[in-house]
Amino acid sequence: MSGMDSLESTLAALAARFDDALAGAANAHALDEVRVAFLGRSGEVTAVRRGIGTLPPAERPTAGKVINAAVEAMEAKLAAARTRLESAALERSLEDSIDVSFPGPAANIGAIHPVRRTAIDVARYFTRHGFAVVLGPEIETDANNFDALNIPPDHPAREGLDSFYLRPDLVLRTHTSPMQVRSMRKHGPPIAIIVPGKAYRRDAIDARHLYMFHQVEGLMVGRGIHFGHLKGMLLGLFRELFGPWADVRFRPSFFPFTEPSAEFDVKCPACDGQGGTCRTCGGSGWIELGGSGMVHPNVLRAVGYDPDEVTGWAFGCGLERIAMKRHDMNDIRAFVENAPGFAAGLA
Amino acid sequence: MKVPVAWLRDYVDLPANADEIVARLAALGFPVDEVETRPQLTNVVVGRIAKLERHPNADRLQLCTIDIGRDETLLIATAATNVAQGQTVPVALIGAELAGGLKIAPRKMRGIDSQGMLISAEEIGLPGEWFEDGIMQLEATMPLGTDVVAHFGLTDPVLDVDVTPNRPDALSIVGLARELAASFGVALRVPDSEVEYEGDSDDARVTIETVDCKRFVYQRVEGIDVRPAQAGMRIRLALAGQRPINNVVDISNFVMLEAGQPLHFFDWDRVGGKHLIVRDAHDRERFTTLDGQERTLDVCAIVIADEEGPTSLAGIMGGQRSEVEPSTTQLLVEAASWTGPRIRRVSGALKLRTEASTRFEKSLSPALADVGAARAAYLLAREGGRVRRPRAAGQPVPDPAPIGLLAGEVQRLLGFELTTEEIERALAALGFVTQREPDRLIVRAPYWRGDIAIAADLIEEVARMVGYDHVRAEVPGTASQDIDSAEFDRETELATTLAGLGYTEVVSLSLQPGNVAERWRANGIAIDEPVEITNPLSDDQRWMRFSIAPALLEFAARDRAVRPYRVFELGHVFAQGEPPQETVQLTALHAGGPSAFGRLKSDVLALLRRATGVEARVERGVFPSLHPGKTAALRIGDRVVGYAGVLDPRLAHAYDVADTTALATILVEALPPYVTPRYVAPSKFPPVERDLAVVVPLDVLAGDLSDAVREEPLVRSATVFDEYRGPQVGDGKKSLAVRIILQSAQATLTDQEADAALARIVAALRKRFGAEPRA
Repeated sequence: MSGMDSLESTLAALAARFDDALAGAANAHALDEVRVAFLGRSGEVTAVRRGIGTLPPAERPTAGKVINAAVEAMEAKLAAARTRLESAALERSLEDSIDVSFPGPAANIGAIHPVRRTAIDVARYFTRHGFAVVLGPEIETDANNFDALNIPPDHPAREGLDSFYLRPDLVLRTHTSPMQVRSMRKHGPPIAIIVPGKAYRRDAIDARHLYMFHQVEGLMVGRGIHFGHLKGMLLGLFRELFGPWADVRFRPSFFPFTEPSAEFDVKCPACDGQGGTCRTCGGSGWIELGGSGMVHPNVLRAVGYDPDEVTGWAFGCGLERIAMKRHDMNDIRAFVENAPGFAAGLA
Repeated sequence: MKVPVAWLRDYVDLPANADEIVARLAALGFPVDEVETRPQLTNVVVGRIAKLERHPNADRLQLCTIDIGRDETLLIATAATNVAQGQTVPVALIGAELAGGLKIAPRKMRGIDSQGMLISAEEIGLPGEWFEDGIMQLEATMPLGTDVVAHFGLTDPVLDVDVTPNRPDALSIVGLARELAASFGVALRVPDSEVEYEGDSDDARVTIETVDCKRFVYQRVEGIDVRPAQAGMRIRLALAGQRPINNVVDISNFVMLEAGQPLHFFDWDRVGGKHLIVRDAHDRERFTTLDGQERTLDVCAIVIADEEGPTSLAGIMGGQRSEVEPSTTQLLVEAASWTGPRIRRVSGALKLRTEASTRFEKSLSPALADVGAARAAYLLAREGGRVRRPRAAGQPVPDPAPIGLLAGEVQRLLGFELTTEEIERALAALGFVTQREPDRLIVRAPYWRGDIAIAADLIEEVARMVGYDHVRAEVPGTASQDIDSAEFDRETELATTLAGLGYTEVVSLSLQPGNVAERWRANGIAIDEPVEITNPLSDDQRWMRFSIAPALLEFAARDRAVRPYRVFELGHVFAQGEPPQETVQLTALHAGGPSAFGRLKSDVLALLRRATGVEARVERGVFPSLHPGKTAALRIGDRVVGYAGVLDPRLAHAYDVADTTALATILVEALPPYVTPRYVAPSKFPPVERDLAVVVPLDVLAGDLSDAVREEPLVRSATVFDEYRGPQVGDGKKSLAVRIILQSAQATLTDQEADAALARIVAALRKRFGAEPRA
């Protein structure tokens, strides 16, 4: 028997044992053991390859080819076996299941306050329409809080705006309207701003009143600005905040810094404006939300604007009031009680 | 203002359904706060007691034969004691429904069938204590059988109408009726005031010594017989919430409610010297008003004095000395007009607000004084008084100033077009007089509209008449402007980021009781005197908050069951100064959970990075409310932008929260503008991680150490991850372990290069901090 014949029979026997071993390998680890046992550094095929040196030099290249072919065949079988095992494992893992309702660890998530949520939503609407959002001080001069807004010292309108005084000439602002004055003195016309912020009135606290509350003020002054623009902006705002069904109506009212003046109401979401025995709107079908109007010529003059050149509108409304309607709340005190879960529940 | 719909109907034809009236008032700018419904009443008619006899079987009952204008009379038993033959009274027929759900059925009273009931004011839903005891008395002039309920409008609701302070003319039944008449397009029935005068009021003398009396109409009336007023007047007053007194006082109140002009009636016999002097009060002048209160006046007040001294407090309340009494037979009627703000000041200073002062303080039209006096004269004459011709002192009634309304002005403000005719019609309906000029209208307001001064006022009137619903919603185009929203955007970013990091935003009241600051001081925390409110509603709201922390600590103590507890507030805090200072702060609190301080500090640093684009440096700091040895000052550039620390243990004790509670405050206005970070390309070469432990003096900060490590150019990151103190490093020392990631942008680092970098770091640390590598 030539050396080659002997080599081929050895390889054939090896292949047969390799096949047996492969068939018995049930997992990736066993497969690897088979690979090491046959093809590893001290594996059986490697030992056979080392034996090439004992062959006559003329046979060595052929022997090498034969061994390489055997190795390739084994590696192919190994790869196929590996693929088979992996697919089987994936198939099995697909049959696993867990109790997905089992609670995970608590999320580490906070919340912004619902008044800020509402302010941000109002601001997003107005900034989309080219308005700037400005803030201002809570301590105001009575000149800015009253006089520049056409409310002289003895004006009856000061009655409803009972204010906290720090000094005879300094108040906690009773509305965000003084920012109209501050902004117009610095900028424009044209000007288009909203002012969210705190305001203070000397009211006893109850379910509908806090002495400290938040307002948002809107102001737009320029050439050709009219009452219809105010209605258009408010209508868009409340459709965005309450839904596409929202409707806005104006009612005549009186504010010293606007003329004509209007209160604005939003159609009651609970009864769709039907009124009757509706508790949300008290049967009127409408919910009062704020005051508004065309900026009084005296206010424009006080900030150096020419009322013959420009016109403008302004509005103000309580952010808590809007938030209460959005979240269906009936007690304003919840906003400052901050019960655990309050803000998170409304976020 | 309480407005009985029945009273409105006296002057204007209105829809039967009160809801329509309510809606129309709201659309005119007079929202109705409340609709007070009246009891269901039926089958009450006017009857006359034709005969009165004793009930044969009962001492306390009388049998009345009642004529109700029909063929047959009714026999009605009554227990009332104020009945007499000939009286005209309201009679509830069988089947009548009365107040309180009472229904009249036929019934036997002590063996005799009673065919109805004689009734009191209370049984038709009026306050019983305001009317005569027993059976209500009606005028003999009322036709028998008249439906009492319909005649007096007893089932019409009473409206609580909200009248804005610019419209004192509408603080009256006629004022509101006039608005409704204009709006519904129907006529107003102006109350009668024509009277035949008997002589002149020249036996009275009036001297005006103050400019704030704009007009003083006075009128003498004789032959007064003080008795109950007519039923119709008493019912109107009672429905409007005004208690009937007697015919004279009631006329004064009736005219005030009807026309809006407060009046004062002096008992002429008690006017000293028959001379009234309208003057400023003397300082500390004492005077008793008709409510029996002695009041001390100052020069701000205006008195009407006679030659014996003050006898009325002008515009507010009459005096006791000249009050109308049952024995009064002669009057001096005063209908005056005052400078509104002056009356407001006096009424405020005396804390005395009356129906008169709430009208006068809004500056009534001087012309209304003449109208009110004339109406009172008419009503007093109806009561048998002999009225003399009125006289007036003070200024004449000014003519209304013309106001120009340019063509196009209405559209410029309202955004929709109206024809000149439409504008004229709207204004005319409200009593305005218009006159056309080529490019404009010249408009004169009626005397009662003192609130109309400029064209915009007229435009509001036009809008009210055509209806605010005519305003068409239109979205304006916006021009670009130079105002930014930086402050709001920053606050939004701070709040939303912190919320995302697990903190819940709270809002607390900015006014506090004084004991908040006292509590801090008592615990050794140095704070400045807070800003004081000079006119707080209560001592609980006297001081402006000097810090957000007290509120957060109170919440943390209240919500002790919730741990970990993470809250923050973003708002203004206040400090004394000239003027008082106001700063924007964000304060966050973290209570419970492992390492509250470490977590809070990491969160705040992440927040600052997000808001400013740069990493803040952590240094030692001191901040009131924080533990003096456990406070980090957070620095960006040359500014400290906030503090984070462990709560001062004295406050932890005072508020009963854990002494591991952590607080951080960001000084929002100190934050630099956001800097857009530069892009650093990630290295393509692998990083090398080395841990280095060094022994340093105790006062070396981990932050300073890692900053120093980062100065080595090959260091990509350096994080102190362990601290050891103990015998192995010796007293006064500690060991800090730093995880260092080295990486080059140019090549894979060799071990030798990494070792060299580490050696440079050790050398630098030794030089800077006296650090020795730990074996």
